[in-house]
Amino acid sequence: MPRLKSDSLLLLFLRLGGFGCFAGWAWVLFYWEGPYGVLLWQDATFALAEKIGISWDEFVGSGAHDGLVQTWHSRIGWLYLICAILTLTVREKSRIQMAGLIGGAGLLVMLSYAKYLSANQQLPMFVEHGGQMLIPVILVLALAFGVRHRATVITAMVAFVMIFAGHGAYALGYPCPTPANFLGMTSIILHLEAETARIFLRIAGLLDILVCIGLFFRPLRRASALYAAVWGFLTALARPVAGMSPGLNYWGADQYLHEVVLRAPHFMIPLYLLFLWRKSEATDSLIAPSAVQDENTDPKTCCS
Amino acid sequence: MKFIRIVTLCCAALLIAGGAIAQQKGNKGIKGKGKSKGGGALVIPEVEKKDIICFALYTVNDKVLKLTAQLYPVPGGDTKTVRLEIERDGKWVEVAKTEVIEQGWTAPFRVENWDDTKTQKYRVLHGEEASYEGTIRRNPIDKDEIVVAGFTGNSINAKHGGDLSRQDLIDNVNKVDADVLFFSGDQVYDHHRHYAAWLKFGRDFGEIIKDRPTLCLPDDHDAGQPNLWGESGKISTLSGAADGGYSQPGEYVQEVERAQTSHMPDPVDPHTIGQGIGVWFTNLNWGNIDFAILEDRKFKTGPAGRVPKQGPRPDHILNPDYDPASVDVEGAILLGERQLKFIDEWAQDWAHANMKVALSATIFCGGAHIHGAANGRLHADMDSNGWPQTGRNNALRGLRKGFAFHYAGDQHLATIFQQGIDEYGDAIYSFCVPSIANLYLRWWEPLEAGPNRAPGAPEYTGDHLDGFANKVTNFAAANPEKNPAGNILNTRAAGFGIVRFNTKTRDIEMECWPRNVDVTDPEAKQYPGWPLTISQFDNYNPRSWGKLGELTFDVENPVVQLIDAESDEILYTVRASGKSFIPGAPGGKTFIVKAGKDAPDTVVSKDAKVGGEAQAVTLQ
Repeated sequence: MPRLKSDSLLLLFLRLGGFGCFAGWAWVLFYWEGPYGVLLWQDATFALAEKIGISWDEFVGSGAHDGLVQTWHSRIGWLYLICAILTLTVREKSRIQMAGLIGGAGLLVMLSYAKYLSANQQLPMFVEHGGQMLIPVILVLALAFGVRHRATVITAMVAFVMIFAGHGAYALGYPCPTPANFLGMTSIILHLEAETARIFLRIAGLLDILVCIGLFFRPLRRASALYAAVWGFLTALARPVAGMSPGLNYWGADQYLHEVVLRAPHFMIPLYLLFLWRKSEATDSLIAPSAVQDENTDPKTCCS
Repeated sequence: MKFIRIVTLCCAALLIAGGAIAQQKGNKGIKGKGKSKGGGALVIPEVEKKDIICFALYTVNDKVLKLTAQLYPVPGGDTKTVRLEIERDGKWVEVAKTEVIEQGWTAPFRVENWDDTKTQKYRVLHGEEASYEGTIRRNPIDKDEIVVAGFTGNSINAKHGGDLSRQDLIDNVNKVDADVLFFSGDQVYDHHRHYAAWLKFGRDFGEIIKDRPTLCLPDDHDAGQPNLWGESGKISTLSGAADGGYSQPGEYVQEVERAQTSHMPDPVDPHTIGQGIGVWFTNLNWGNIDFAILEDRKFKTGPAGRVPKQGPRPDHILNPDYDPASVDVEGAILLGERQLKFIDEWAQDWAHANMKVALSATIFCGGAHIHGAANGRLHADMDSNGWPQTGRNNALRGLRKGFAFHYAGDQHLATIFQQGIDEYGDAIYSFCVPSIANLYLRWWEPLEAGPNRAPGAPEYTGDHLDGFANKVTNFAAANPEKNPAGNILNTRAAGFGIVRFNTKTRDIEMECWPRNVDVTDPEAKQYPGWPLTISQFDNYNPRSWGKLGELTFDVENPVVQLIDAESDEILYTVRASGKSFIPGAPGGKTFIVKAGKDAPDTVVSKDAKVGGEAQAVTLQ
């Protein structure tokens, strides 16, 4: 079966989402510091290290010199950079590269877990990273089985729901308090008083939950995906818009821009779903018959 | 498609419900509102009407009593009026009433023309049933020794021993009968529910707070953020808040400050800052000691984007070879002009004061090298008041003009430093008290031994440059154990401070106690390096200075002021001890010396120099 031209576009969205996520985190890990500290600097990790013969000083440093914790903390960035490159180079039969991306997903799961721990074990913190954790998996599934394969689409929908359910829960202030910077960004960008900003966020949170539900109803799913793509992009963009200023070094770009980049899955996954379900799909022209025959065009497994 | 829909809807439902369930876990059996996750049993208990007043804080200054009663939520139909009564001749007399402020449920009272010469019982009343009693102490102006107990870092997290009883602190404060309580910051660590945490603070400490003047300085965690560079009230959006400003909305910060500071003396310069946030920097004159209460966070510039990046966080400097001058950027503020002006005036005003003490959240230097749960060496931390250096030096120049002793906290590491500006030891002493329960560990551990340390003193003492190249002389550091054992408070160097100010001899004795000791037990040991006693006059006694001729007065304890004859700049103002005083001063300069009973209004000499003649001065 031939491959639809739009499949390439769908794949591009997933590649860009994955690339942005890994590249953004690589930026954080090289330039700033990742959130892994909370996992590494704790008794349980040290106990594990001790079992394999690593001393306290070797593990955490002597005070004068770095230990394994500090050394490896900075090296993790290289793994993210490699994964970012893999999102662009991986092809249908690149099994090793796919394995690398699945490993990258594991790194993102650990990262999200670390952020969850740092946030006083607030579940929405872990949940809202679902898109970032799953984007490499979605990309691998899309390549292995096809961008329209049931497994790919289901995983993308789960990622979608995790992003917006987590985000929505925070915006609604339930079950965890709304993060203060949500209110701050809203107040600054929209020039709203705190109370009005809170109401705005409640409404936005409710819409986040509604689009998660709307995703599962054919008449609503395109509108839901469109809203999510736009809102996902705007919320990612809110960080630099609220924080950057001409008075800062580099206008503050080094403080804020990576926040948009690493959130690429927040708008690329909805964009992928939006284009997957677009009406004009039937009229798409066909590209040359694929030499790579796989399940991605099998109508029996296609989800659209 | 139907299958997919069902599966994914189930996933969505599970995620949302899971979140809710996860938040409720661990809170079983707790009755009340505002249940906590990860912060112990933080609740707003449902109390009976008779118990609706949780605690009360007060100060008396310049014949004005300010008392704030902290209430539990008042039910809708109940009166919002709260009354304050004083016992006079065995009868309760109402002296003030006020309406409770619903946002935070505080009831602030203000009583003018307060007679501070006698101790008086008070009670706060609400409705027909609720009554809360305490004692307003008389001003202890006849006491030689004023005892100030100092606390910081009130973590309630069980991981750090924060869930353990504070009874040892209560007992020890009662045993030493502290005249003033000083909570330097982080009374509350919950970043979203200050009210619930403040009520818990009141339940933990109300027993000692209700009977003595108490000063609470809200710091970063109180305001709901991990660090605070207030930048005059702007809104912070960056994770970690290094962009400057407040993460929580202004109304939240206002509630925090109302709860913690509305009982303090009126602010000397009450203009609000951004988001309608008030200011509370002021002074309290009590027991012949003039306390300057400083806000070292509120006006401070955030470093993110202002200073060249030097580490993995905008506020952290890892590179030991960086140029310290590169981060002392133009326009970066520490205390701000308003507070510097206040300090300048305060340092010259010695009415009813024998000694001066500056209180702030933290000390004016980078007071730690190793940060966190492991041996993470941090060259410099811009959360400390070592940065910005120019702002730090300006603050110290102001404070040393009044020979102020500095009492602070926040560092999670008890230390004694003498600050230096142009040379080692040319500015004030600071005592940073240990945390009540230590959330985050730090160590003072310079890589090289400090010169000029006392014989036998640890190598980490002596003269050092901090990470911002500020000159500091360390006298003591209560470093925690390198691999502390779980929630055992004292392996994490938890504790509290006591400072005894002798207003007669002008000695200042610093004590630093671990938790769960009896400070009156002769066998009880303080952290290594304590106690340390200094003189009030050590707070501005540069090593390079000489002495002017001795001044002998016809009155006790006159106020003496030294002015640079060339620049007309006031070098210092201080109340002398007894009838003689030998002013210290730099060599090679000429000074105008002024003196007076309570203010330096008489010129004693116009050309005083180091090594000059002794002089008898008549002031009566």
